[in-house]
Amino acid sequence: MAYSTFNKVKNDALKEPMFFGQNVNVARYDQQRHPIFEKLIEKQLSFFWRPEEVDLSSDRKDFMAMAEHERHIFLSNLKYQTLLDSVQGRSPNIAFLPVVSLPELETWLETWSFSETVHSRSYTHIIRNVVDDPSIIFDDIVDNPEIVKRAESVTRYYDLFIEMCGQYSLLGEGTHQVDGKEIVVSLSALKRQLYLTVASVNVLEAVRFYVSFACSFAFAERAIMEGNAKVIKLIARDEALHLAGTQHMLNLMGNGQDDPDMVAIAESCKDEVVEIFREAAEQEREWAKYLFKDGSMIGLNAEILSDYVDYITNVRLRGLGFDEIFDIRSNPLPWMNAWLVSDNVQVAPQEAEISSYLVGAIDSNMDDADFDDFDL
Amino acid sequence: MSSTVTVNDVQTFCYGEEFSLLDSMEEHQIPVSYNCRGGYCGSCKVKLTSGKVNWVQDSLVSLEPGEILVCCCVPDGSISLTI
Repeated sequence: MAYSTFNKVKNDALKEPMFFGQNVNVARYDQQRHPIFEKLIEKQLSFFWRPEEVDLSSDRKDFMAMAEHERHIFLSNLKYQTLLDSVQGRSPNIAFLPVVSLPELETWLETWSFSETVHSRSYTHIIRNVVDDPSIIFDDIVDNPEIVKRAESVTRYYDLFIEMCGQYSLLGEGTHQVDGKEIVVSLSALKRQLYLTVASVNVLEAVRFYVSFACSFAFAERAIMEGNAKVIKLIARDEALHLAGTQHMLNLMGNGQDDPDMVAIAESCKDEVVEIFREAAEQEREWAKYLFKDGSMIGLNAEILSDYVDYITNVRLRGLGFDEIFDIRSNPLPWMNAWLVSDNVQVAPQEAEISSYLVGAIDSNMDDADFDDFDL
Repeated sequence: MSSTVTVNDVQTFCYGEEFSLLDSMEEHQIPVSYNCRGGYCGSCKVKLTSGKVNWVQDSLVSLEPGEILVCCCVPDGSISLTI
């Protein structure tokens, strides 16, 4: 079925599934089938920040004073982060927008993806600050075999899903001949690929990103590259929200609160999802070896980072209701918590960046009883 | 009236009007994992085995019936938790 930018069929978005229903027509947010996506949009908008707000002037000095193997760790980590956000800045839009059916989810996808472009811009801000010629860093992302290997594994599910959606949109369901090849297009295969793709995005944001955050914060734990860590702290705050988004999508698909077809599909994908997590953990451990190939840094080495990979993989699997697959229960990097705290909720709302403090909000569903607690 | 919080059937403490259950647990040195303290990372998810809680901020993570985020709520009377 061809995509329409404004579906003329009058439809009730409260009855549509998240994906593969009718195309969205009116962008309305007064009612939602899944209010959680509206809340995520509100939260993400309240988090808005710009990389230029963070002063990086002392980072350049720190970078110059670093040992060569530490520069390798710092720059390789930054290249990996740049790769991940290059993918995330476009892929949720390109992959999921053509098949989304709920206005709140459509806007969440756009808001989510947009925030990833802010992250990409902040890597440019950081790289510009630490090296004289940023091209050397950016070019290596497509030249360095270790990074290219990462790119292949983070984009595989997205790319296949986008290809399958293209065939579905152009040809519809059925068996088709394209360039002398037989292609079978089926909605159930597409839905299965959708579930696996969302799972792989969850792995990207909830496991791969967190491993890279650990490296960024490890430098700041030693009181160096603190500007960089401030930027990464803001990025981590956004990523926590994004991973909540993909967890919700997977859970809604699996628990029958959305498209009834997805329940059996999610069930049949379980083993494969666990394999996606296991494979990503393996790749992250390999990556840790590459990062620390020339030497460790104080507070972090390949072994501790690998333990953190296992720990965070277990945490994310639990978040999706799966069993843990690694034998590690406690966080090997407890200092990460201090960097991942994002809402300082105990200060006066008007004095701090508190995301839940909204001014000018109007609640039109009031009655006299709402004033019962008021005393003059 | 103060609220008593029982954790894993073995530890008990009194909630002392802190902003959240998480703050209160930290005050009483009950180990509990957390990250964002803003209701969206899900790290502080625990099981509420008895009693009721009041939510002081929105949770943005998937919760099964009986699950709570301790950064987002406070006890409403005495409660029991399983971590």
